[in-house]
Amino acid sequence: MLPATVMVKKSDLSRRDFSMVAGAVATTCIPLRAATGPTAQDIVSRIQTSLGAEKSSTSPDGFKAGDPNTPVKSIATTAMATLDVLKRAAAAGSNLIITYEPTFFGRQDGPAPTASAPAGSTARAPGRSPFRLSPDDPVYQAKKQFIEKNGLIVYRLRDAWQSRKGDDMTSALAESLGWAKGRVKPDDVLYDIPAATAEDTVALIRSRLKLRGGLRAVGDRKATVRRVLLYAGFMTPAVMWQRYEEADLTIAGEVREWENTHYAADIYTVGEKRGLVTIGRVVSEDPGMRACATWLKTVVEEVPAHWITVGDLYWRAI
Amino acid sequence: MTAREVVDLIKKNVGVPWNEQSYRDTFKLGNPDSTVKGIATTVMVTFDMLKRANQAGLNMVISHEDTFWNDRDETKDLTSNPLYKMKTEYVLTNDMIIWRIHDHMHAMHPDFTVVGSLRSVGIKGGEDAVMRPRVFTIPETTLGEFASQVKRLTGSRAFRCVGDLEAKVSRILLGPGYATPAMTGDADVVIGGEQQEADGAFDDVEYVSDATSLGMPKGLIMLGHVISEQPGMEDLAKWMTTFIKDIPIKYVPAEEPYWT
Repeated sequence: MLPATVMVKKSDLSRRDFSMVAGAVATTCIPLRAATGPTAQDIVSRIQTSLGAEKSSTSPDGFKAGDPNTPVKSIATTAMATLDVLKRAAAAGSNLIITYEPTFFGRQDGPAPTASAPAGSTARAPGRSPFRLSPDDPVYQAKKQFIEKNGLIVYRLRDAWQSRKGDDMTSALAESLGWAKGRVKPDDVLYDIPAATAEDTVALIRSRLKLRGGLRAVGDRKATVRRVLLYAGFMTPAVMWQRYEEADLTIAGEVREWENTHYAADIYTVGEKRGLVTIGRVVSEDPGMRACATWLKTVVEEVPAHWITVGDLYWRAI
Repeated sequence: MTAREVVDLIKKNVGVPWNEQSYRDTFKLGNPDSTVKGIATTVMVTFDMLKRANQAGLNMVISHEDTFWNDRDETKDLTSNPLYKMKTEYVLTNDMIIWRIHDHMHAMHPDFTVVGSLRSVGIKGGEDAVMRPRVFTIPETTLGEFASQVKRLTGSRAFRCVGDLEAKVSRILLGPGYATPAMTGDADVVIGGEQQEADGAFDDVEYVSDATSLGMPKGLIMLGHVISEQPGMEDLAKWMTTFIKDIPIKYVPAEEPYWT
């Protein structure tokens, strides 16, 4: 008789289990250097193999700073490698930082490879940002120096992590909110929660995610919320139109005000009770990178992995 | 006068060559050949604003932003959407016309959205401001105090700030709507409407957070799109009265959509 695990059909495995199996296979395929411990490159190769995602040409994933050949002492995952996060990582003895969002202030993750735009240049189509980071920008320079001085390596892991379904970005957010048990369907974004007004639900969100000034809500404060839609990151109008009707409260990272917020405001005007809450893009992605640290421990056993929260970067004027 | 004739007059007076390729600055709904009884200018043609304009007898709405909740006002995925049907029906039943002016406002001299936004946060001297941002100097204050002034003057409930409240600031760089400028060495505070929080062309939130960690006095104030660009629509209404005399033209603001 075959061992039970072998008899399980692939379709019976949750994607999480499958990743773990893939991770185990990777361990045997890519031997790590025992003497000095794995390098950042070794660990990243393992992550890539385990996630099994094919890297597209538009993916922003990759090393952003530091030497990939550095032996790794400890891994820190984070939603965004702010200088504050890097300082906390270094203080905790972590030298490989896995970040979901950019490190150097934009998708480019550093100065443009071509000569920087002339100072003050704003040539552009209306509404399009012309802005680029200058190679001699003092904040960029100071951050880079901090990374180098402390021997840190920063790797951006976004697309490959996101492609791992079972959607950890969503389930981890639900976990932080205390709603994990209410998931309506596997791998989906709807959750049933204890009934409460929108106002009270927002207060709960604020306290559970330790928010400061980033949360904004649209709709009826007194509406009863029983089902929520959780959406980590940026929610497009298309998703909003398709799914907004399915929940009493949609909780997204961020949206565009002149698109999705406008839609939520119009829905409210025509008398529907459902509402929209944006908690901040990074805040919404924070828990997902805690899940990433937990997952990393199953793939990389030689060095510890832990999560560093970014928190809510906004405050509100009084 | 028809809505088409109103638009022709705007094109004649706008002071910049008209770009017929703009997908934004077009009629969105209603019959352009309908007679205009009154004109309402607004930053966002929300359903709530539409109703108020209609009640005030203003059947032509000139909006800076979109009607159908996406920048291109693409409607192919909305044809069976109940809200789309209701909004469309309301406009057509009441013989209203919606036209958008966005790109050309940002090309105008001055750009009323910038002029209005500067004025609304208490910055003087921006009457000739254009889209290209320039630094305005105010008497030195703290970021926290300046943010309180912005709150008092704009009446906004929900705008968001980043940076050290005690940071000493005096040099302000403002961009309207989604054109939130990138922080530069010449500025202490960037004011914008909105901006993708991360992974965009320039991420001010992370930049200002990191500058703050380094002890640099930098601040970011994100007003929200409506709060940022709304005041300029009053300037647009006033400007239009200089060449359209026989039809009432009123500024009908959209509400800030948020509670917190």
